[in-house]
Amino acid sequence: MQGSVLVIAELWNGKVEGVTLQMLTKGRSIADRLGLRLGLLVIGQNLENVVANLRDRGADDIFVVDDARLATPAGDVEAAAIVAALHEITPRLVLVGATLVGMERAPAIAARLDLPALTNCVDVDVEDGEIVATRPLFDGTFHAKLVLAGQGTALVALQKGATPTMPLPAKQAVVRSLAVDLGAASTRATVLAIIEEPASDIDITKADIVVSVGRGIGAREKLPLIEDLARALGGLMGCSRPLVDQGWLPRERQVGASGKTVVPKVYVACGISGASQHLAGMSESKMIVAINKDREAPIFQVAHYGIVGDLFEIVPALIAAAGKSG
Amino acid sequence: MKIAVCCKAVPGAVSDVEIEADGTALRYRSQVQSLNECDEYGLEAALALKRATGGEIIALTMGPLTAQDILHLALAKGADKAVRIDAKVQDARAASKVLAAALKTLACDLILTGTQSRDSLTSFVGISTAQELGIPFAFAVTAIEMDGPGAVKVRKELGSGRSAELRLQLPALLCVQTGIQPLTYVPPARLLRARQQRLQSLSLEELGLTADQLAPRGYRFASVAPPVRSGRVEWLQGSPGEIATQLLAKLKEVD
Repeated sequence: MQGSVLVIAELWNGKVEGVTLQMLTKGRSIADRLGLRLGLLVIGQNLENVVANLRDRGADDIFVVDDARLATPAGDVEAAAIVAALHEITPRLVLVGATLVGMERAPAIAARLDLPALTNCVDVDVEDGEIVATRPLFDGTFHAKLVLAGQGTALVALQKGATPTMPLPAKQAVVRSLAVDLGAASTRATVLAIIEEPASDIDITKADIVVSVGRGIGAREKLPLIEDLARALGGLMGCSRPLVDQGWLPRERQVGASGKTVVPKVYVACGISGASQHLAGMSESKMIVAINKDREAPIFQVAHYGIVGDLFEIVPALIAAAGKSG
Repeated sequence: MKIAVCCKAVPGAVSDVEIEADGTALRYRSQVQSLNECDEYGLEAALALKRATGGEIIALTMGPLTAQDILHLALAKGADKAVRIDAKVQDARAASKVLAAALKTLACDLILTGTQSRDSLTSFVGISTAQELGIPFAFAVTAIEMDGPGAVKVRKELGSGRSAELRLQLPALLCVQTGIQPLTYVPPARLLRARQQRLQSLSLEELGLTADQLAPRGYRFASVAPPVRSGRVEWLQGSPGEIATQLLAKLKEVD
């Protein structure tokens, strides 16, 4: 498998996470253009069903590390398993999700193997026969294109939602089980419990219209304005992470990588700059409207309709117009 | 309990970004530097632990003399000691090697960092530093408490509303999530007093590191530019009332 493209799968409760399918789409295209095989590394416990379901997802090979010690998400044990697998597979390119799980995995793997690593990328592609990754810099105001220059293994971490999932050629991947010795993996970190957020009355993932508010609102007392707009449009109010961090809104309202992923018919972003963590939770929405005073805000990268202006002028006008037409 | 907090001085708006001749670093003009917000949460988490269990907090940064301002802020917030590594390193792997070398000399029980810096946005340096030190780690930590003398119990986010509770033996490194503690306000008088405090400085030489060991490998910048807009954005213009009418019409088209 020397010189393959290898996707590291992200699983939860026996199901593959969306970012894995996005990476397989990207990985397939890169592998084809470089004439390489596409591999998928799946680690965990009791993986038979997961692996069976992944066989027709575009990979040529699936490598499996099935071990009881991988039953809980202990970062260092997972990193040890991946590192041992990489020693056997020796790929040219490793793709990891730039998710909260991947943000722990990618540096752990890269540091252990001393690999060149480009993390938090919005794209990776082949240009003139070289692998080129694109990543944001300076709070997203710049994008850098970086060429992976060496010939050895390199790692790229790809943002969730950065690339769409496409239908892949039907092929049956060859499944290979890797016997990995996890005996030396550290036991200095122990997973005590997994906590899944309890279901709440407000479920923004089920709303057809989500009106989200970000730091641009400025003050907690102004939040009812956005709630009024959500009500006027017949939707629910969501928010970006900083508002939850400040205790202004409960976590069940939060859209983004660490909160909810929403795919409503209409998403209205009010005073949200559009950090990649936020975009990861809403960029697939059918129609995206953004209201922001900064024309250069990254939210306008994904918006269908952009309004540059003052929230406190635009939102009341929208509420009034919705009331008239309602 | 000795806690180190890694703090980065990050620029405000930047301009005139250019790629250095060797292709592996950038030079740019920037507005005044400030303490990276994610790291400020690391500092607040350290202060909360100190209030609960006592101990000493060391604020650690890497950068030129201009990075000293953020150390003064850390002292004003309640750090006991501040150390600056006198080095300019952009590569994330190299940065973690330098931080690890300095942290070895500081011999701390707990190391806290943020999850991301607003300039390089890699989310890489914290965990990579833990690996360099060979100590347990956790990313996106939202709660920390002592668990006996030699361990901490932490909660970390796994994304999509899931979390894990872990027990880590000390020394350990935690990348703390934003919002772990509220950010506190520093009165100007306290900042002025903090400016009088002595800062320790460490050179790469003192840490036994050479420029060669820190050279970025495996990649080169091809271009750096403002992101290309997808092109699909349609700007709605006019008075607020006109914009509202246009948008409501668009919303009606959605089934």
